[in-house]
Amino acid sequence: MTPTVSASGLSLRFGGTRALDDVSLRLSAGVTGLLGPNGAGKTSLLRVLATAVPADRGVFTVLGHDPGTSRGRQEVRRRLGYLPQAPGFHPDFTAFEFVDYVAILKELTDRTARHREVRRVLDEVGLTGVRGKRLRKLSGGMRQRTALAAALVGDPAFLVLDEPTVGLDPEQRMRFRELIAHAGEGRTVLLSTHQTEDVAMLCNRVVVMAAGTVRFDGTPAELTAQAGGRVWSSAERDPGAKAGWRTGLGTYRNVGDPPDGADLLEPTLEDGYLLTLDGAAVAA
Amino acid sequence: MTTTTTAIVTPPAGAAPAGPRASWAAVLALAGFEARGLLTRLPVLLAFAVYAGWTVWRTRTSFDGFPALQDADRATQTAPLLVGLAVLFSVSQAVLRSRRYDTERHFAVLVLPPWRRTVAHLLSLVPAVLLVAVCVGGQFGWEALKPGAVGNGSPGELLVGPLSVLLLGTLGVLFARLFASAFAAPLLLVVLLFFSMFAAMPQDGDAIRWLMPVVGDYSTRTLPSELLGRPAAWHALYLAGLALSVALAAVLVSGEGAGARSGSGSGPGRVLKGRFVDHRGVHAGLAGAVALTLLGAVTQADGVPAETEKARMRYSTTPQDLQKCSERDGTTYCAFPEWTSRTDDWAEVVDRVRSLAGDAVRDRPLVVRQRVEARYGPDGDAAMTPLTDPNQVSVGTTWGGNRVPEFAVAVAGVLVTGKEAEASALCDGRLVTVMWLALAGGAEPMADLSRVRVDDSTSGAAVVISETEPLQMTAAHTELVRELLVRPREEVGAKVTANWTELTTPKVTTDRTAHLLGLDAPEEADECGE
Repeated sequence: MTPTVSASGLSLRFGGTRALDDVSLRLSAGVTGLLGPNGAGKTSLLRVLATAVPADRGVFTVLGHDPGTSRGRQEVRRRLGYLPQAPGFHPDFTAFEFVDYVAILKELTDRTARHREVRRVLDEVGLTGVRGKRLRKLSGGMRQRTALAAALVGDPAFLVLDEPTVGLDPEQRMRFRELIAHAGEGRTVLLSTHQTEDVAMLCNRVVVMAAGTVRFDGTPAELTAQAGGRVWSSAERDPGAKAGWRTGLGTYRNVGDPPDGADLLEPTLEDGYLLTLDGAAVAA
Repeated sequence: MTTTTTAIVTPPAGAAPAGPRASWAAVLALAGFEARGLLTRLPVLLAFAVYAGWTVWRTRTSFDGFPALQDADRATQTAPLLVGLAVLFSVSQAVLRSRRYDTERHFAVLVLPPWRRTVAHLLSLVPAVLLVAVCVGGQFGWEALKPGAVGNGSPGELLVGPLSVLLLGTLGVLFARLFASAFAAPLLLVVLLFFSMFAAMPQDGDAIRWLMPVVGDYSTRTLPSELLGRPAAWHALYLAGLALSVALAAVLVSGEGAGARSGSGSGPGRVLKGRFVDHRGVHAGLAGAVALTLLGAVTQADGVPAETEKARMRYSTTPQDLQKCSERDGTTYCAFPEWTSRTDDWAEVVDRVRSLAGDAVRDRPLVVRQRVEARYGPDGDAAMTPLTDPNQVSVGTTWGGNRVPEFAVAVAGVLVTGKEAEASALCDGRLVTVMWLALAGGAEPMADLSRVRVDDSTSGAAVVISETEPLQMTAAHTELVRELLVRPREEVGAKVTANWTELTTPKVTTDRTAHLLGLDAPEEADECGE
């Protein structure tokens, strides 16, 4: 299967900070979750793949084009949908105007077809009823859906979503998951998130990053399996555990290397994620 | 590592085929989007409303209904500056919008690069500029269609309004690209206004004065169009060149142009940091635009051409050599070529004054000579010297309003004294006859009396305005004229005709004049120079 993204040895530094360190990655159709603690390099990787910043070193192609060339970068941008972290809005624009504006910047130039496309994506994210409302009058969730519509306009083949559910209430988050799941049908979606539930529910693949490197690349089930036999229950927090917390049942759920005879529990994706980080950010 | 991949070739919905043509189509689409936003911004809407309202209100009564089109073209220049300032402010806000609302992170990865977006912002100015051009054309057309219109407008002068708006708009774009602050545009407005105050000073000389978009004159004197000596075409070129230079500079400072360089080494996708602008065409265009600007700026500061100076001298000193004359009812009317259509208006006044004097002046030959003092250019304000040839009366280049009764006074003065120069020095009872002859035939004699007096009064002593030397009415003259103007015209006219010889005798006293016209001697003072 032809990968949408093929990257090898990507590195990026911001001053003295190494944001990406020799990252290699192949992405194909479906939703890929990108997990990692703050400062892991998730946003940096997304920005490099979205052609927002060039890498210092490395080789990669997106949709078969080389973003290192002006022509290649333009071709990538033509087929890219990007939802940045905490996206900005033009408050005086209506939802329709904002998405239309983005559509123009994506070089959708046929006015009739463009407006049809804008209406389509606004309908897809459930904003048809408020498309004439100014963005300043919309709720945070509606604005976020407007931003998703802007990312979806033009039917991009590669969709990059940077923490799209941050700040949303549970109901809005569920709505957003539906949208992302729908968006992932027939295209490649790279979803950066802190929410392991998002990955568990949406993604057919997960990449875990820490300190600018890829720590895990596989399916959610494989990530969960990493914690197989490494999660146990105890009456007190086990001092040998890499992470442990009191559950609603009053017992402690411990993650790490269990003592002999420990009461093993069924692992979750989050357990696998925590163990993959190897304690680097578990304490946080 | 070498990776072989295959691009997905399905085009985005609604997209034009990729390539430069699609990019320019997107620029035009964005320009249309931004233009709609610009024209509906409150400051721009208000500015256009004020501009249109003021233009309609002013043009209804401008030039007293008798415009000289070489003045009317310049009258279109100042008001568009209000629109220009609003456009500067609003377009600057539009350019800064992405930065202000933090959408740049998102828009930076969209297909249309920043420099093309800047081009779209620049193009979004075009509708506002065209709208101003339509307003300018409408204002000028309205003047040109007035029945009393004479002369010729200059396309160069008419372009100043729209070009000023274009220049201010491009400055707004450039400043927003240079200084990412919402305060940049207001600060620029203050600086421009401050500079314009000093640059407009006449002592700064033409070179500085002509650097401003709108260059006014310091006189209301109307000159034949060939004498204006204003470098209108060069100034339009200067403004156009400057606007183009600023626009191209804004494109150049718009950041990423051609994108990141390909790095060393082989294989796809080797990416290096670094941004640069590689627009040789834009650089060349900027160089050309700056050259045009300099050409316009230098040439417009050259001063008045020698031929124009000579023509000004000819028009001022030997107008008869340039005029066309026509005779009507014993009066010869000599007008400069652009004013021949105004002869009818002059003849109406002459006939009215002559008819009041009756048989006494029926066969008196009279020459109405149009004159202009053009030696000091449109900025000059020098008065013309009175004519010394007998039976010749001066008429100026403006008409309508107060100019009509003033001309009537001049005609009456020559009919009474025989010479314009003598009429200017009147200080006896003849002035009463002159003023009655001039004003009694009008529709509103008393109102005309106040109009021709410098202080708009109808009592006491006052100077009477004239195209040449002013006349001086004593309080006694005013008293008698006021009494005569309220009496039946036929009654006073009969007395004037019957006593013409004595009424027009030099040194006739005011008391004697009163007696001859059936009035009591005036009670007010009768001393010239009061």
